Parts: sequence; C-alpha cells; structure tokens
Amino acid sequence: MSDEKRVENPKKGNDDEILQWVTFKLDNETYGINVMQVQEVLRYSEIAPVPGAPSYVLGIINLRGNVVTVIDTRSRFGLESSEVGENTRVVIIESEKQVIGILVDSVAEVVYLRASEIDMAPNVGNDESAKFIQGVSNRDGELLILVDLNKLLSDDEWDQLKQF
Amino acid sequence: MEKPLAASQNLMKDYLSDLLTDEVMDQKAAETEKLNKLLQQVTVTEEKPEPAPEVIVSKKSADTKIDTKADIKVKTAEITPVQAPVEPKVEIPQAEVVVKQEPKAQTHVENTSKEYRNGSFQAMFFDVAGLTIAVPLVELGGIHNLEKTTSLVGKPEWFAGVMLHREQKINVVDTALWVMPEKCNEQLKESLNYQYLIMLNNSNWGLLAENLVDTVTLEPEDVKWNEGVSKRPWLAGLVKDRMCALLDVDALIQLLNRGINVQQK
Repeated sequence: MSDEKRVENPKKGNDDEILQWVTFKLDNETYGINVMQVQEVLRYSEIAPVPGAPSYVLGIINLRGNVVTVIDTRSRFGLESSEVGENTRVVIIESEKQVIGILVDSVAEVVYLRASEIDMAPNVGNDESAKFIQGVSNRDGELLILVDLNKLLSDDEWDQLKQF
Repeated sequence: MEKPLAASQNLMKDYLSDLLTDEVMDQKAAETEKLNKLLQQVTVTEEKPEPAPEVIVSKKSADTKIDTKADIKVKTAEITPVQAPVEPKVEIPQAEVVVKQEPKAQTHVENTSKEYRNGSFQAMFFDVAGLTIAVPLVELGGIHNLEKTTSLVGKPEWFAGVMLHREQKINVVDTALWVMPEKCNEQLKESLNYQYLIMLNNSNWGLLAENLVDTVTLEPEDVKWNEGVSKRPWLAGLVKDRMCALLDVDALIQLLNRGINVQQK
C-alpha cells in the first residue's frame, strides 16, 4: 500500500508526526477521525429510541451487554437525515472517557497523514459545529475533513450522555 | 429566460443605487455630525475646554455631559469634612468614557497603498446574479474553472466550501451571498450558475463568478474612488461608465480572513 510506503520512507524530519485516520462518508463528503479513538465499526442494527433524549441522540444499542448511545451525526453536522442503507455503519468511538456510537453513511478506509499535510480549516463562522473541524487535508485530489471528536458535543452534552 | 434576466438587471440597478446613495452620505458629514453632537454636550457644562484626548463616548452616554473636574470635586467632598456647602453636581450623570475601541473598529481594514490608482490600469469585469463587478488585474490572482467544492460544517452560508486545485486549497466565496445577502432569496440562489473562480491576489480566497465579461483599461477619472475610511472597505470605487463596483482586493481579503461579510456579520 502506498500509505505504508509513505510511513517507511518519511520525506521530512521525525517531527512531522504521522497519524492514522479512519475515514467515513456523510452526504458525499469524506471525514476522518483519529484511529486511536475508534474502537470498532458495526453494521447498522436496530437503534432503540430513548424517550426524552436530546435531539442529537438517535437512541441506544446493546453492544455485548453494554448500552451504547448512538449520536445522530447528520443532524450534528447540520445535514438532512437520510435513509439507512447497505453501507450505513455505527462507528464506536471513545471520547471524553465515554464510549458512544456515531451513525455514518459508510466507512471507507484508514489513511496515514503527516501533520504537515493537514491544514487548518478557514477560521470563519461562529457556529458551534464549526469547532468540530480539526483540519483539512488533500487526499488524492479529494478534500478530507478531519473531525475533532472531543468537540462533537459540548461539555454539557457529554455530561448529559453519562446519564444514559 | 427573459424574466430572470430582467429580474437580475433590476437587482443590479437596486444594488448599485443602494451603493451610490449610501456613498453620498460622506464620511466627513457623518463625522461632523458626531462632533457637533459632542460639542453641544460639552458646551453646556464644560467651563475650561481642554484639548480633548481621543475619547469615545458610547451611545449609552450620548445624553450625558462631560465634566471631569466637577466629578473630582464631588469625590473630594465626600471624604473631607465640609464646612461650606459644596455644590455637588450629582445630578450630572457621569460621562462614560470608553477607552477601548468601539466594536465598529473590528471592521477596520488596514489601508494599503494602491499604486495602480495613480495612472491607467486594467480591470476585469465579471457577472454575479446580474451584478457586474470589476477587479483590478494587478490584484487578480487567477481564474479557475469551478470544480468540486467541499462544504465544511458550521461555516457561514457565503462560504461555499473548499476547492482543491492542484495542491492548493481554495476557500470559495459565494459572491452573491457575500455581497448582497439581503437580496438572495431562494429563487435567486437557485438561478445562480457559477462557473468560474476569481482568485484574490495571492490569497487562498476565490470569488465565484457566473460569467467573465471583459477586460478594460481604466483611467483614474473613470472611477468614483471610495476615499478615506469607508463603511465598505472592500469597495475601491464605482466604475462610472458601467456603474459597477470596483473591488479593493486586499481589503476584501482582510474581511474574508476575519470571516465577515458585506454586512459586517
């Protein structure tokens, strides 16, 4: 794999850290999340809605005896909801010492990115959701949007999730 | 197709007339008005006019009177035993002196020298929603065909996304939404057919354009220049013949970098 070659033959100094990112699709855009935060990727299974849950919570799933809250990623990203399809996945992640699931359209691959290949997203917009974006990177002519999972929810919302 | 064209032309006329009307209200006039107001307030109580330091009187204190000496007297009276009755001017509301800059200063854009304004220069004209905009060629970074734009969550509506062009990540501005957001209804948004990206100088910012019109050599007198500090730093002036806006590219870049649009939002 060319990615692996890149890791073996770094063109730049050692300070140019290489990170792995799990990429997923949402509304035809590709997003990346730090692989260290990803525990597993599940096929879509029935998500049980929770009465009175905040709007960003789709429901809960039973993961080998553990209850995991699934976040409505599309609504979080300000996108319209879509039908669940063949490729829909629930990515189980750990963030802010909590394990949650995020529903995505599909999971693509794991990519290697050097820190130098990541650019800051333009600093425009005061919307809360603008904070999710950690950076952007050019990946084979396609823009990869890197998501900071810790900022996916506010502190209050993370606290709220603990109650589930 | 005639209707949308006519609508666009009307839109352009409205927009330009708005620009011109507002430009008539000169900055100097506004400043004079402000000064007059302040002077009126000062003359009521000010006994010894001092060279006024650069103070900004906030709106809240617009109807207050500045009398710093009187304030000091009042305070002294409070802490020292008073034998003779002191005339405390307590009824005079203390003027609120704001040392920090007004929020408006946020929109201040650094003045950059524009050498091209001293002689003839070329400008390229392009169309957006019936509105013609000119950009001086010396400040034009390039023109690209519009390719796939990746939108980013949480960004303002005028930020159309990021377009990859070779290794460059270009921040794409929906020009119509940036320049005239108040006129962009759903119908207009749907009718927009952006094809080109006009790059601003050496920045990563590009303005979307529907059509490229032409390039013309302009003389300084062909433009009604936007002099001094302006409410619209992005507007270098108005091209008289075509009645269209000439962009001040560097000022526009500064505004875009701050994430604010034409309405300073």
